[in-house]
Amino acid sequence: MSSTSLTLPAPAPAAARKRRLLEILGALAIAGTYAYLVLNQPSDIAGGPGSAAALIALSGFLVGAILLIMAVLPTLPASTLVLIPVALVLNIVLGQFVGSTLVPFYLDAIGTVLIAVLAGPAAGAATGALSSIIWSFFNPTVLPFAAGAALIGALAGLAARYGLFRRFYFAPIAGFLTGIIGGVVSAPVAAFVFGGTSGVATGAIVSAFRAMGDTLFAAITKQALLSDPMDKAIVFTLVALLVYALPRRARLQFPFVRRHNVLAGTGRDDATN
Amino acid sequence: MKLHPLTSLAIAGSAAVVTTAAASVPLSLAVMATAAALSFMSGRGAQVLAASAMILVPLCLALFMVHGLFFPEGTTVIAQWGPARVTIEGLTFAAERASRIGAAVVPLLVFSCTVSVPDLVAALSARGVSGRVAFVLAATLALVPAIGQQQLRIRQAQEARGLVIRRHLPSRIAAFRLQALPLVLSLVEEASGRAQALEARGFVSAARPTSYRQVQDPLPQRILRWLVLLCAAVVVGLRLSSSLPGGNW
Repeated sequence: MSSTSLTLPAPAPAAARKRRLLEILGALAIAGTYAYLVLNQPSDIAGGPGSAAALIALSGFLVGAILLIMAVLPTLPASTLVLIPVALVLNIVLGQFVGSTLVPFYLDAIGTVLIAVLAGPAAGAATGALSSIIWSFFNPTVLPFAAGAALIGALAGLAARYGLFRRFYFAPIAGFLTGIIGGVVSAPVAAFVFGGTSGVATGAIVSAFRAMGDTLFAAITKQALLSDPMDKAIVFTLVALLVYALPRRARLQFPFVRRHNVLAGTGRDDATN
Repeated sequence: MKLHPLTSLAIAGSAAVVTTAAASVPLSLAVMATAAALSFMSGRGAQVLAASAMILVPLCLALFMVHGLFFPEGTTVIAQWGPARVTIEGLTFAAERASRIGAAVVPLLVFSCTVSVPDLVAALSARGVSGRVAFVLAATLALVPAIGQQQLRIRQAQEARGLVIRRHLPSRIAAFRLQALPLVLSLVEEASGRAQALEARGFVSAARPTSYRQVQDPLPQRILRWLVLLCAAVVVGLRLSSSLPGGNW
């Protein structure tokens, strides 16, 4: 079983403060970029090249995601760290496969949510952001969504922390709510950077709203609010199935699962019995 | 001349940033053509072309469907079928976005198809990037091809136990479950074993490990890198300063 080393010195308070500062700066960069784009959105995105908005969205979200990775990654134990590549591969393989089908979903966050449930919100956020950065080696269009992916990981970890994976029927509800927030945060990226969506099925939904006279930003936000909550409800349900299918020994190696009694039958008392 | 991984990354990243800032269709097309030509010169042309097509074809289809048919802001109508209106402005907007995204995607794919991952990891480590980032990057890029082999083995094992994949959806979902579950469980189990091995070798220690791999980084390439990044920063600065006061985003 993986455990914290007893021989290495504890991290200095200065290093912990630096990490906390990086976390706060990362979250501020993401929230500030989102607020700036939404509050100062050009009244007519579709009227010009819009490259300044694209640059602001790209740089703000990416800097925020990188700061979060820098803050969280050094704190993760080896048992979580080795799971991150597995999570990234799950995201990439399933995301590429579903993205190529005519389904208005993505299913590109299964690995991120899996890590978040097993290792907590910070690990989930780092995995989400890293997933987008490494996936961009195969598909550079996912890079601007790094902040949204980090947010999904953090929210999934919080859902697990507060017991929403202890009852199977709470998992899709938590996924649905996470999808609403994730969709709202990702919509400016799709609108300002891409001018639409990257899939034909999601594009058809945007077209329908545009045909009703919506602005591009409104149409993309509504499409995200249709697709993302359903997508994340499916992802959270699949992850709940996966974590309960894991051998008990594999689940109990994660301190977060034991400490917060994340899954039914893995609490402190259960683990010692 | 062999390019240092960070030089390639700086050139590809700057090309993406400059074309996004410039928002010019001719410049975007020129960047795409140059990147494609360089990929063929490096012998990875087919790979880059296939990867680019896989990303850009659905994206362009979606853009032309959304803006080509439904662009309420458009005034010059070419054709109309019910609520769908093909306008010059919509097609121009779709073409501009498609070319800009293409000009970012193709150079970055040329970089990822031509870069040596061990060299990139060594170059990042030499510049103080945490060994943890290097591990995640290298392990993921090594795991993506390996997972295909593992999936094939699981499928063969399940077929030997009587799995038959039929055309209808329930059969496909059942087959997916029978393959996905063992795949994920085996990956998590393997990761657990790897964690113990890494901990035993001091992976969690904060001390910087010695790198056995040295990547040559000649002075001209370092200068080139700085010039390229400076150029990108200047173009972005010019674009932002010209856009913000007048609100012409």
